[in-house]
Amino acid sequence: MASPSLLATAERLAVLLSAGAGAGGGRAPVADPEGGDLEFEPVVELRPLARRAAPAEVWAVDGGQALVADARCVQVLVTRAARARFLGRDCVLEDDGELRAWLVGGGQERVAALSLGLGVGPDVAVDVNLLRDHGEWELLARCVAEAAPGALVLRDGALRPDWRIPAGEAAAVLAGAAERGVTVAAVTKHSSLARGGAPLLGQLEIEAAGALGARSMWWAPVARTRASLGVDVQVVAARLDPDARFAFRVDLPAGAGAEAVLGALSALSDDAAFPGYPYPLSVADRLAGCPSWLRHDVRMDLDDRLDLAGVPLEVRERAFADRHQLMERA
Amino acid sequence: MTGGPAGGAAGGAAGGAAGGGARGRLFGKNVLEAMFRASPEEDLFLGELLVGVDAATGRRYLFRVVDVTYGSEHREPGWAERVAGTLLADDGRGETGAHRLHEQSRRTYRVASCRCLGYLTPDGSAFRKPKSLPTQFSRVVSPEAADFEFLRTRMGDLPFGLLRSGETTVDFEVGIPGASLATHVGVFATTGMGKSNLVKTLAAGVLRAGGRYGLLIVDPHGEYRTELARHPWAAARLRTYAARSLPNTSALKVGLGELTVDDLRTAYEWSRPQEEALFELERFYGRDSAGLGWLLDFSHVEDLPGFRDVDLHGRVALNTLQVVHRRAARIVGLPCVAADATVSVGAAVLRDLREGKVVLLDVSGLGSTEEVLVASFLTRRVLDEWSGAYLDEPDRHEQMPVVAVVLEEAQRVLAASKDRESNVFARVAREGRKFKVGLCAVTQQPKLLDGELLSQFNTFFVLGLADEKDRNILRSSSKQDISALGPEIQTLMPGECLVANLEAPFAVPARVHLYADVVRSCPPPPAPRPVAPPNVAAFVD
Repeated sequence: MASPSLLATAERLAVLLSAGAGAGGGRAPVADPEGGDLEFEPVVELRPLARRAAPAEVWAVDGGQALVADARCVQVLVTRAARARFLGRDCVLEDDGELRAWLVGGGQERVAALSLGLGVGPDVAVDVNLLRDHGEWELLARCVAEAAPGALVLRDGALRPDWRIPAGEAAAVLAGAAERGVTVAAVTKHSSLARGGAPLLGQLEIEAAGALGARSMWWAPVARTRASLGVDVQVVAARLDPDARFAFRVDLPAGAGAEAVLGALSALSDDAAFPGYPYPLSVADRLAGCPSWLRHDVRMDLDDRLDLAGVPLEVRERAFADRHQLMERA
Repeated sequence: MTGGPAGGAAGGAAGGAAGGGARGRLFGKNVLEAMFRASPEEDLFLGELLVGVDAATGRRYLFRVVDVTYGSEHREPGWAERVAGTLLADDGRGETGAHRLHEQSRRTYRVASCRCLGYLTPDGSAFRKPKSLPTQFSRVVSPEAADFEFLRTRMGDLPFGLLRSGETTVDFEVGIPGASLATHVGVFATTGMGKSNLVKTLAAGVLRAGGRYGLLIVDPHGEYRTELARHPWAAARLRTYAARSLPNTSALKVGLGELTVDDLRTAYEWSRPQEEALFELERFYGRDSAGLGWLLDFSHVEDLPGFRDVDLHGRVALNTLQVVHRRAARIVGLPCVAADATVSVGAAVLRDLREGKVVLLDVSGLGSTEEVLVASFLTRRVLDEWSGAYLDEPDRHEQMPVVAVVLEEAQRVLAASKDRESNVFARVAREGRKFKVGLCAVTQQPKLLDGELLSQFNTFFVLGLADEKDRNILRSSSKQDISALGPEIQTLMPGECLVANLEAPFAVPARVHLYADVVRSCPPPPAPRPVAPPNVAAFVD
């Protein structure tokens, strides 16, 4: 078998990208390689979007994680879920969330799994995505509970939780929100939605510029979750500001009036630094971040505790040495 | 961790929570340079004086803002430019306000770079040069009146303005010691920045100094005569000599016999052959003539070729002799030059200066070289008088006032190209201080001054200077470090200045009093003591 060359790879990628954007591309099937539980619209139809008044109360939730110590067979991870609350246009709460430390590998993930709620089974495979997502959904549920009727609660990502969290848990959160008159929406910055094998959102951005104008705001229904999933979510694409550089995937409860919610979301997306992205989510993203200094702090704290526990320095160093980096240095 | 969106600053050793008048929080940088973060709304000015409050040590560090820049919480490259681009595009479409920067006060800030001028000891009794770091994250606040008290004893007895902090004037009078006139004063500024007002204000201080100081002001433009005469103390302490016939002035006359060849060499540009010709003429006439008295005879010579061939034995080229002859004729024809030495003002000017008066020479109407000729003559007389007393009559010298010669466009006589041997001004710059004779050099172009002479100047008044070369030469000669003050000097407004001298621990920012205000607020001079009848005076004395 001939080894794949960059030339051949580029030629195949070019065909893929051109097919989605070319004539007739609009009729190519839409898919999501990461989400097999969606039913897609046969044709993605662009619709103009009008900005509406911003909700009086907005919550935004995001999660972050960091790998603190990596012995490959066993790892120490930290996760956090952060939230921000806006009243009017003012941020009145910044909560960067409790930092949770997890031991994964060597059978230790069972301990982690047992400590999780939201119906996560004790035998599921545990990784950082589950741990982070779990924290976010817990916090999302708290925000819904604390939000006043009419509020909008935003999440960074999709409205479908990690596959190891039962969909019913998400459905319960959305149902509780609907009952209280609270709308939940999720915004995915980098979506895997595709059409004809090429990224869908990029295609829609180009099509919309031609059809509706370069400074148009628009939205388009893309998919709905299958009824069998147990959580009813509609998936749309939307460009939320006339000067937005990108459109995003937005997940909404199936029963929500998409145009009205997106119009309100658009009103939150007028930040001059990132036009088209809801500003409260930018704040939550900042709060949830686990920068390198935080990782170093936790690592030093961990080292102290291992030392107190009598683990010799040599053992610690040999366990967690970054051998890749050491070899590269050599 | 839960908190308000503002994210309170660290307290503890750094000195409690922000607010309560805090202008910022210190975060860098080293012993001599401080950097602090301020809110984006904080209006910080170049040259502003601020105080870093070190709660851990009790010291109050005095900072001078030397630059202010933008800061942003966002670290990705181009973030600020992108925001500006979005807002600018809105403006371009006539949709200003379509986008806004949410929470601008949290996401953006200002960073002030400061020079650390020193610190006040915890009891406020002493001001010391900076040798240690203030505690990081200390509060930066506006100064209080007590923070400047240490300056009061260093401000001298010739007040000229108020302390300035950025664009704010502080109710604290600043001045220089009159004795520092002897160690030379430089006044540097471009046109319109307030040089003349400063000179008048300094002169006003000398008028009121009770005879402790004397000032010889050479005024080429006639701009001081009327103004100085308005000063309430002018009648007693100001004496004006004018080259033209002007009211309330004495005639400015210089005797030819009192001038020297060195005065000519200072005032005029001479080629080497022309200088040789001068010495040849001086030798020829010297037997019968004092000073430059021979210029009169020489100017009357009609047969120059014959004079050259017969009297000078052909030792001078004819065209060289013609140049000297033309200049001689011009000099003897000057209205302020007299053949009769008895009408010279030299002695009167010396007497006035000995009495601690302000002597104003209004030389308007004279050409630039003639003005220098007169100034050179009188400066030489002053130097000779004061140095003679210093050497021969130390007790009398002790009683003599400190005097300074004020020269406009000083680069004409203090330039590097000038012959230092014959130039009396260079001599004063080098030797005058021990005789209590100083220069007050006023110029728009300090870069043209001789660097070695400039280094003799202990006091600099720096008003606005746009030319970087001008600032650089001052930077290298100043008695205080003004290396970081380039932007501030560039942005000084008329009347604003920096004063660097040996007395103050740093270059003091000031706003110069308006002379008109000085005159208005000046009390009248004390009434002269009544003269006692002769029979009583014998007892009184």
